[in-house]
Amino acid sequence: MICLDYRRQLLAGTGETDAMRVHRLQCASCAAEWTEQGAFEDTLREALQVPVPAGFAERMAQAQVARRRTFLAVAATALVAAGAGGYAWLARQDPLALACIDFVMKEEAKSIMLGAMPRAEAQAALAPTLALERLERVGEVKHVRPCPFNGQTAYHVVLAVPQGMVTLLVMPATRMTGRRHATKEGLHADVVALERGSVGIVGTDLAVVMSVAGALRA
Amino acid sequence: MGFEETVRTHAADLYRYAYWLARDPAQAEDIVQEALLRGWRAFPRLRERAAAKAWLFSIVRNEYLRALGSAPPAAESLDGLDLPDERPELFGLEMRDALAALPVSYAEPLALQVLGGFSCAEIADMIGATEGATMTRLTRARQALRRLVTPKDRKAGPA
Repeated sequence: MICLDYRRQLLAGTGETDAMRVHRLQCASCAAEWTEQGAFEDTLREALQVPVPAGFAERMAQAQVARRRTFLAVAATALVAAGAGGYAWLARQDPLALACIDFVMKEEAKSIMLGAMPRAEAQAALAPTLALERLERVGEVKHVRPCPFNGQTAYHVVLAVPQGMVTLLVMPATRMTGRRHATKEGLHADVVALERGSVGIVGTDLAVVMSVAGALRA
Repeated sequence: MGFEETVRTHAADLYRYAYWLARDPAQAEDIVQEALLRGWRAFPRLRERAAAKAWLFSIVRNEYLRALGSAPPAAESLDGLDLPDERPELFGLEMRDALAALPVSYAEPLALQVLGGFSCAEIADMIGATEGATMTRLTRARQALRRLVTPKDRKAGPA
């Protein structure tokens, strides 16, 4: 190993390998660099540890306890209120709605990393199926980008509504009737028909997903 | 370990990671809250509980991207990136201020490595980069920080 390799690996912070250690023990200059880098790493670790709001971890943990209680209460109430028909609809795993959830789990981050369409282009692209202005009446549109989805070109939209964030897949080429639903990996998806095409709505909160679906359906 | 215990164990580091992504305490808190809601719903289906920490960090990252609605600045480009270490007027910063001067795409792998204890391969997987590119970012970030925290009286070259 030469000094350049030693210092490059040292700066990557991946830890000292046996080969690095052998080099350091034979090279005074790299040994000095190792000592200096050790002090630097201590300072770096300390600087990254920004103060956490008081009681944050406990507050977050307690929120999970509260969620579990609310979930159980709501589930029990929903079962009673919805009856067998309502429960069967919610339990149904529609393939198109599942594909929307899979998109969020596997493709959404990539789509966001690739960047959003300029507003004018998004407006023109969405206009025939679901006008951008209509979406903006429901929430703040954070991202629009075309994406291959289910054998067609769909539009991936991230929409911030007052209760949280939902993902939409606007599908100009998918004509359907009614409403479809799926739940997987903690995400809920509704797909609803539009006058031309359809839209899938995915989010973590079933009530928010259903509310946005209701606001957008034809 | 159940979800509440997992949250107790990792909440502080998740917050710190979210902070270095968003650079805003209130937004960091919102991101972690939203991520934990998502995590709570999916946790029963998480097969490898040992991977819960990496899984939660990934959810925080996705929530940050969703909140941002776009990619972090210069996430894809290394060559054209304006690292602040060539600006001598910034020299002499405290380490935390120097970190704040780094673009997110450089500070993020550092936070994942130092706060999360993740390997280069794990970080590469989480941020969607190659292992080589991740190592380059880690190296360049440390180089930049070392220059930025150099005392101002050492910034000048030979007279």
